[in-house]
Amino acid sequence: MLFTTDKQTLEDLNIFGKYGSDAVYHIFNRTVTRGGAAVLEEMFQYPLTDEKAINRRSGIIQYFAAAGKDFPFPASYFDAIAPYLANTDERSKLTGDAPNIARKISHLVAMDGDTVMIHKGIKALAALLKGMAQFISLLDIAAGHPYRLDKDAIDALLAAPDFAPVLALAGVAKLSQDQLVAYDTLFRFRHRPAIQRLLTYIYQLDVYLSVAKVGAARGFASPKALPKERQVLNLQGVYHPQVKNAVPNNLHISPESNVLFLTGANMAGKSTFMKSLSIALFLAHMGFPVPARVMEFSALDGIYTTINLPDNLGMGASHFYAEVLRVKKMAYELGQGKNLFIVFDELFRGTNVKDAYEATIAITQAFARKRNSLFVISTHIIEAGEVLREKCSNVRFLYLPTRMNGHHPVYTYTLAEGITDDRHGMVIIHNEGILDMLKAGLHKK
Amino acid sequence: MAFIADKQTLEDLNLLGKFKPQSIYNLFNKVRTTGGERLLESMFQQPLTDPDAINIRSGIFRYFQDNALVFPVSQTVFLRAENFLSQGTGGNKLWVLAMSLRRKITATLLRDGQFAALQDGMAATVELLRSLRAFAAVLDTAGSPYHAQATELKALLANQRLDGVVAASGHLSAWQQARYDFLLRNALRDEIEKILNHLYALDVYMAVSEVAKARNFTYARALPKAQNLVRTTALYHPALEHAVANSIDLDSQSNLLFLTGANMAGKSTFMKSFGIAVYLAHMGFPVAAHHMEFSVRDGLYSSINVPDNLSMGYSHFYAEVLRVKTVAQDVAAGKDLVVIFDELFKGTNVKDAYDATLAVTAAFAAYRHCFFLISTHIIEVGEALKKERIGGQYAYMPTVMEGTIPRYPYRLKEGITNDRHGMMIIGNEQILEMM
Repeated sequence: MLFTTDKQTLEDLNIFGKYGSDAVYHIFNRTVTRGGAAVLEEMFQYPLTDEKAINRRSGIIQYFAAAGKDFPFPASYFDAIAPYLANTDERSKLTGDAPNIARKISHLVAMDGDTVMIHKGIKALAALLKGMAQFISLLDIAAGHPYRLDKDAIDALLAAPDFAPVLALAGVAKLSQDQLVAYDTLFRFRHRPAIQRLLTYIYQLDVYLSVAKVGAARGFASPKALPKERQVLNLQGVYHPQVKNAVPNNLHISPESNVLFLTGANMAGKSTFMKSLSIALFLAHMGFPVPARVMEFSALDGIYTTINLPDNLGMGASHFYAEVLRVKKMAYELGQGKNLFIVFDELFRGTNVKDAYEATIAITQAFARKRNSLFVISTHIIEAGEVLREKCSNVRFLYLPTRMNGHHPVYTYTLAEGITDDRHGMVIIHNEGILDMLKAGLHKK
Repeated sequence: MAFIADKQTLEDLNLLGKFKPQSIYNLFNKVRTTGGERLLESMFQQPLTDPDAINIRSGIFRYFQDNALVFPVSQTVFLRAENFLSQGTGGNKLWVLAMSLRRKITATLLRDGQFAALQDGMAATVELLRSLRAFAAVLDTAGSPYHAQATELKALLANQRLDGVVAASGHLSAWQQARYDFLLRNALRDEIEKILNHLYALDVYMAVSEVAKARNFTYARALPKAQNLVRTTALYHPALEHAVANSIDLDSQSNLLFLTGANMAGKSTFMKSFGIAVYLAHMGFPVAAHHMEFSVRDGLYSSINVPDNLSMGYSHFYAEVLRVKTVAQDVAAGKDLVVIFDELFKGTNVKDAYDATLAVTAAFAAYRHCFFLISTHIIEVGEALKKERIGGQYAYMPTVMEGTIPRYPYRLKEGITNDRHGMMIIGNEQILEMM
């Protein structure tokens, strides 16, 4: 089953972001090859839902992180190989015919572009095959190792008898016309599928190596996926990867406390905490290293967040209606029996206080009945919290505290148990001196 | 002192903007001349703050509307004449004659178009002056606010030195051509410019009064500041078709209208209609209302479409706070303002918005010489304000439920809405059943 998420979630978490932005994808996008970048993007687009697949990929990345190897090939190889393999025109195939005078003379002046490209491609591919055979033979991989399957497949591809003369070459700088002709047929026509498959493995290797490096450099932890039935999430020291000096938090979620009711002032870090949690879960489902000290989790079927919901006033839909439709979508997915991770920031802020209060209670209560999913809901309507405390046993109350330093709020960004009624809207208005200004103006008159 | 209306306000109300199809400026931009367009633009940019000046201007508009005068010359003749007059000519008669002769010779020898263009411009100018004199002769402005300007225009046109030009007919000799050229473009240069400016003004007066007539707009009466009131009946949005009209009546006893209602019920449109009417009234322009009278104010502030950048979350709230602060500074400085706040503090949570709206509204309302129009979806604020007895008015845009489908009559009702459709919408979407 596919891991489900949607555009709103990807934008909330800034997974892909716009070009050059601080997106999560850009943290990991350190691949050498363009093919590697494409594989990486695919991994981001399709996180895994199977705990074994997650642990396998996470194991491979851990292995390469420990091995500390560099990607063994320069990017220039692939720049030559890509256009070469893309040219599948039979007429461009090199031939062994005795060269006629005209061609000899023209080659003497300058070879035509196509031929130059083909020669380059053949040489780069030959060097790649040789290099890969050497790299793979140096890996010390026992049976049962997560990378073992890949290694065996690569070995099998390279073991094809037709490739033996290529692997036996001393160097690729000088190849005779006969050799070039033979290898061209081999690479581009006879063994094309095998070459393509080998390239895919190499691109994946590129991703594993670059992700391992990023993970090691940033001190990310390898997540451990647990069976679905356990329904737990254990996170220690989770933080937001794109926030400088981010404060880590610990969190343990079990079916007995699978609804988090989060309160806190506007700047206290609610959204950031929710984003850190969601990003960690998203990366974990890809088997990638996560910004945390320790992470264990039961694999889920999807993530939905609602943090920066835009209201579509142009279409005449109010903010409240946009929120309702969003909740409806979640409800539908939950009704399908999926195990989801659902985040709502400032639920129902687009309506009046009473509606927001009633709707928050009704929706949270309905969520709380779904024990196999995880929910994080933030709100300022603390009265709803009191009601929920009585009605639902599996709602857990957390808040992000604020200390007042005179008139200036200081934030600890560390989760605490309970409900807070901290709010700063009025503090900001007081700090700007608006009400004093108006009062003073009256006396002047 | 200039009327205060900042960029945000002008944008909110979509007042200016030649290239915005729906702007109020374009609604009135039916002028024929570029000079008229410039004048119209400057009127839009500088509303008036003196009640007499406002009443004089609106009186002029009314005079033109009542008399249904026609612009004296065709657009092409005016364009040709304007083009001719705007170019300079020689410093003395002889030089002008020499230039004229040279052009004539080159025209015959080299088929050069300059002399023909000169002749054409002269002919158009002659026609312009002739029809202007005819127009002025029948213009009866006695007792109207346009009288002063009309008298000035008549005096300019009556200049005897123009008699020869106006009488000129048929082919002009080179000498005549040079003489009139010198007269119009050199000797009487200032007078001619004044006549043109009068024409531009005429153009604007006619265009605006035509729009007023076609759309059934009325002229607002400006009252001195001290009276402190703004009274309108059947006010509607000038750019909307089939707009529903509502009345609003504010004075120093009751200087605040607190508006509630569902999101689609028409709160913003009503607030914009009011803002536009106040602005146009200060320009002396016709307003989209059945009747309007107002004490002049020093400025207009609105906060309707504060850029809806919710992705900036907290700072959106901060932007709103800063906007309120700007207004508060001017209000506290003793300026008489009209202030429009739509969905104040929507960038924050319900609770903060409640506290902030309550505190800010109550503080503002104490300024009896300013008028406030404040809307919110947090109906609880209204109840709390009522208890504070700040002497405001409470109105709402109703929603009528036909079964489960809401319908909006767009007609203001007194009180605070108790339309709470939140749970009903959730019910309609059958969310709880789904889970």
